Amino acid sequence: MERSGEQERKLRLGLRVLIALVVLTVVEYLLLVWRVPNLLVYLVVINLVDAWLIAEYFMHFSQLWRTEEEHR
Amino acid sequence: MSTHSAARVHYDRLSLRRLGLWLFILSESFLFFAFLSSRYYVLGIYRPEHLNQALGLIITCILLLSSLTAYRAEVSVAHGDRERFLRNTLATIGLGLLFLVGVGIEWVEAFAYFPPQQRFGTVFFSLTGLHAFHVLSGLVLLVFVWLHGRRGRFSAAHYWAVEGSVKYWHFVDVAWVFIYPTLYLVSL
Repeated sequence: MERSGEQERKLRLGLRVLIALVVLTVVEYLLLVWRVPNLLVYLVVINLVDAWLIAEYFMHFSQLWRTEEEHR
Repeated sequence: MSTHSAARVHYDRLSLRRLGLWLFILSESFLFFAFLSSRYYVLGIYRPEHLNQALGLIITCILLLSSLTAYRAEVSVAHGDRERFLRNTLATIGLGLLFLVGVGIEWVEAFAYFPPQQRFGTVFFSLTGLHAFHVLSGLVLLVFVWLHGRRGRFSAAHYWAVEGSVKYWHFVDVAWVFIYPTLYLVSL
């Protein structure tokens, strides 16, 4: 039961990350539509946030630095 | 070998595999970075008007959604939920195929407006072609994982093939996160 609760928590986290990614992508598109000056700078910042969200939450990047005990 | 030693060996091996995969992903990132930088070197921030913006946005969202299903597949197998793992792996494969169909439609339009002989066409087809090849190879891995998953080859304790394939799939997503604005959004 506890394991199932942990699984559900992780699945909900994944959904929240996806929502954040889609919102950021739509914001990118709207920046183009609104002809925001210095668009490239905003796009780079948003892309770096996107990449961090995927690497950290979906790819578990920080796993690389975890010890065996922390991993359990 | 004691149970503790066996667990230790398994963990060390898993850590090495993860490190190896991340190094591979890093080397792939350099390749994509070279292609992405060529866009700015060749074209600056010029962008033609004939790009299908709606299609670009839709296929980006499809690929992002496929990352969620891939993540759900990994979480499910890690908790021994085989049915959900298979369902989400299949959904990821379906969304990946849908993404490729979208790229195909975009290519048909692109051939008409900026063929590969033109400068933007060269950059467009190189970047999307390189990425589509990675999507295709990711799909092959996921089909392999799904087939083996159906035969019950993975468990909550041993699912490295799933984890590795899913990480690769997420990398393909990260690459597109940079390609999409580089081709579709950056402009004067």
